[in-house]
Amino acid sequence: MNPMEKLLNELKIKIVEILNLIDVHPDDIKEDDQLVGGDLEIDSIDVLELVIMIEKDYGIKIDNRDLGAKIFATLRTLAGYIYENAPELSS
Amino acid sequence: MTDVQNYICGMGIISSLGHGIKQTKYALQTGRSGIGPLTLFSTAANPPLPVGEIPGSIDSGSLSRTHQLARLAAEQAMAKCEQSPDAVVMGITTGGILTTEMHLQKKAYSPELYRYHAVGSVAEEIARRYRCTGPVITVSTACSSGTVAIKIAIEMLRAGLFKRVLTGGADSLCRLTYHGFNSLQLIDPEGARPLDENRRGMSVAEGAAMLLLAADQPDNAVAEILGAGLSCDAHHSVTPHPQGKGALAAMQAAIKDAGISISAIDYINLHGTGTPDNDLSEAHAINRLFSVQKPLLSSVKGAFGHSLAASGAIEAVVSAICVSSHLVPANTGCRFPDPDLKLEPVRQPASVPVDCVLSNSFGFGGNNASVIIGAPDKADCSISSAKIKPLAILGCACTTGAGTTEATMANLSKGAACKGMLSVQAISKNLSPRTVRRLKRLPRMALSLALAAYENANREEKPSSVFLGTGWGAISETYDFLTGLFETDERFPSPTDFVASVHNAPSGQIALKFRSTGPNITTSGGDYSFEQALLSAHLLSRDIGESFFVMGVDESHPVVSHLFDKSVVADDIPSDGGGSFCLIGAHDLSELYLNLAFYENTENNPGVISSLIGQLGGPRKIKTSYGILMVGIPGGDRWEGEKQLRTFLSLSGFKDPLIDYRKLIGEFASASAVAAVIATKFIEDRKIPPRFCNNRSFRLNGKGALVLGLGKFITAMEVLRR
Repeated sequence: MNPMEKLLNELKIKIVEILNLIDVHPDDIKEDDQLVGGDLEIDSIDVLELVIMIEKDYGIKIDNRDLGAKIFATLRTLAGYIYENAPELSS
Repeated sequence: MTDVQNYICGMGIISSLGHGIKQTKYALQTGRSGIGPLTLFSTAANPPLPVGEIPGSIDSGSLSRTHQLARLAAEQAMAKCEQSPDAVVMGITTGGILTTEMHLQKKAYSPELYRYHAVGSVAEEIARRYRCTGPVITVSTACSSGTVAIKIAIEMLRAGLFKRVLTGGADSLCRLTYHGFNSLQLIDPEGARPLDENRRGMSVAEGAAMLLLAADQPDNAVAEILGAGLSCDAHHSVTPHPQGKGALAAMQAAIKDAGISISAIDYINLHGTGTPDNDLSEAHAINRLFSVQKPLLSSVKGAFGHSLAASGAIEAVVSAICVSSHLVPANTGCRFPDPDLKLEPVRQPASVPVDCVLSNSFGFGGNNASVIIGAPDKADCSISSAKIKPLAILGCACTTGAGTTEATMANLSKGAACKGMLSVQAISKNLSPRTVRRLKRLPRMALSLALAAYENANREEKPSSVFLGTGWGAISETYDFLTGLFETDERFPSPTDFVASVHNAPSGQIALKFRSTGPNITTSGGDYSFEQALLSAHLLSRDIGESFFVMGVDESHPVVSHLFDKSVVADDIPSDGGGSFCLIGAHDLSELYLNLAFYENTENNPGVISSLIGQLGGPRKIKTSYGILMVGIPGGDRWEGEKQLRTFLSLSGFKDPLIDYRKLIGEFASASAVAAVIATKFIEDRKIPPRFCNNRSFRLNGKGALVLGLGKFITAMEVLRR
């Protein structure tokens, strides 16, 4: 498994756990589906919980609304942003 | 029927712009801003975020800061009035939380430290100070609280219940709201710039404003409250409806309530917090409502900051200043108006005649309130008074330690108590995992109870409005937010917990579930919270054609319940639960009715039990009307409550079965809501279980039930058969 695939799988598990999506299996989250406002019913409050997780676990702070909309477009865009910006992943 | 007007005959204000009408008016005339870096408490952020903090020191003594702010505003409002107000209605969201969070951080667990924690204790303190013997209502609907309180106050005058009502709102700055709004990324680090294209959020603020309203024209009327309207977005727990649907509905309801034409409005005091979504949503609503010509408009939150529950009352006072002083305040903080909003805010304070102001207040849970304030006797807007009427019961449900309504009634019939707490899973077994994924104990109970009452009503039509009483609100979410804040050195408090920590979060969830776009009111007055919700429903029922929920619910929390609620300490078994009714104003739809017949403060009111008996029609009427007496004596007031009960029984001569219900269902603030549901089930069955009647069958023969609340207040709810 390449590092990006590993990160995607890790994020799926974290999303299900943090957002308490007990009726969703991590594999049900599709990498290129709309992440916010889609079938998972993830909304702006969930995004803020994920922002905290990303800062805690990957050391990346996201506090710009416009940039946030781009980062959280899909799971793949989110993973891509973390991969490029996380100190321990990019080193 | 007589016509009623709502005169403002006294006003008081304290805010980041100063203390009193004179200082506030001067600040508005000169376009000054009161926003600056926080100094009230230390924070990890350096520099601290800008807030609207009251300058100078406020000696709060043993009271909380919010109590003291309310007192300072009330002193001004009552300065020229020698008589006591007949009722007090206030909007409060934070109450004594500034003090509470300080003690929780230190892990100081003495109940005495938390005696001013309750949001309801602020209005109770004001009532005590001004010897008000009537009802005290505390509205806690987040940022619309102050305006919702004013709506309830004018309906009290219109119903002919009272002649003078003291109303308003207060909130102090605290860590909960400062860090909470920051966790939502809703604070502008530059200070609030409402309507500006570069706006990034609000500035949290503090303050208080009080208005003494009178039905009879006083010599010194400053202005009149012409009307007010309420609505709920039923869209999202935080984000306003993108097209401002709920905001539009509230403004339209206020205009209709005032009986004026849209063209009569000279100035709009916007909610205008400065958050990107709020300002856009409100702008859409205003552009739809005023499609031809818009009045002058501005937000004053770039000057005051956003003082949450106080803001609606503060802006009602500002609106009255506009009318009385021919002043239109500037939209302070806005340098480059956002072209997307299609609004032209007033950029400099203007001196122009203003006869009529529309003031908006919108809050979490999509909770919207608009009020219209006019020059005295200029508009022809008097409303015919209409006495409050009993409400028809369409359905009801309760939750206790025993389980659902059926389990509770079965336990009572066989003589078993219903104390205790259900598991979180048991509470929400009628709710889907997706619905409850973010909900903790209180909103789950509330939503589950609403659903059960709706199903019991067995009608397709969904209730349009919600009236929910809770003594202590969402304690779990508040505690978890503060714990997360302290444990992470202020870095990672949970935004989900903050959003859900407001008292009206559960009623907002009910509105979302049932698409209830009518008034959505949460009241919080300790052991009388359910009765406050019922009184609010009575007062507003003439505005609501459809059915509505009235409920009371409280959760038990292992760490703080016994610190906050002195009655909880009186029982070894922690208990919680609630009761919910689906009611309607129309009287041909049910055989059974719920009616709040009495609500008075016992302080400074030695004849209160005699008044109660008189209000219920005297001893003979009491004996012929009620076949069962349900008595609620909060554990913390047991000695006083039992004395009150003996007086009632002696003066009324009531001899039929009596149930001291807290001994059966446990100690929690909204136990009276459960008692009202149990009473309804007895009346439905037309008999009382033998265990309550010396093991003999007792038939009610058409008689109803009386649910008495004793202790600090005396309340009486009737469940009657038509």
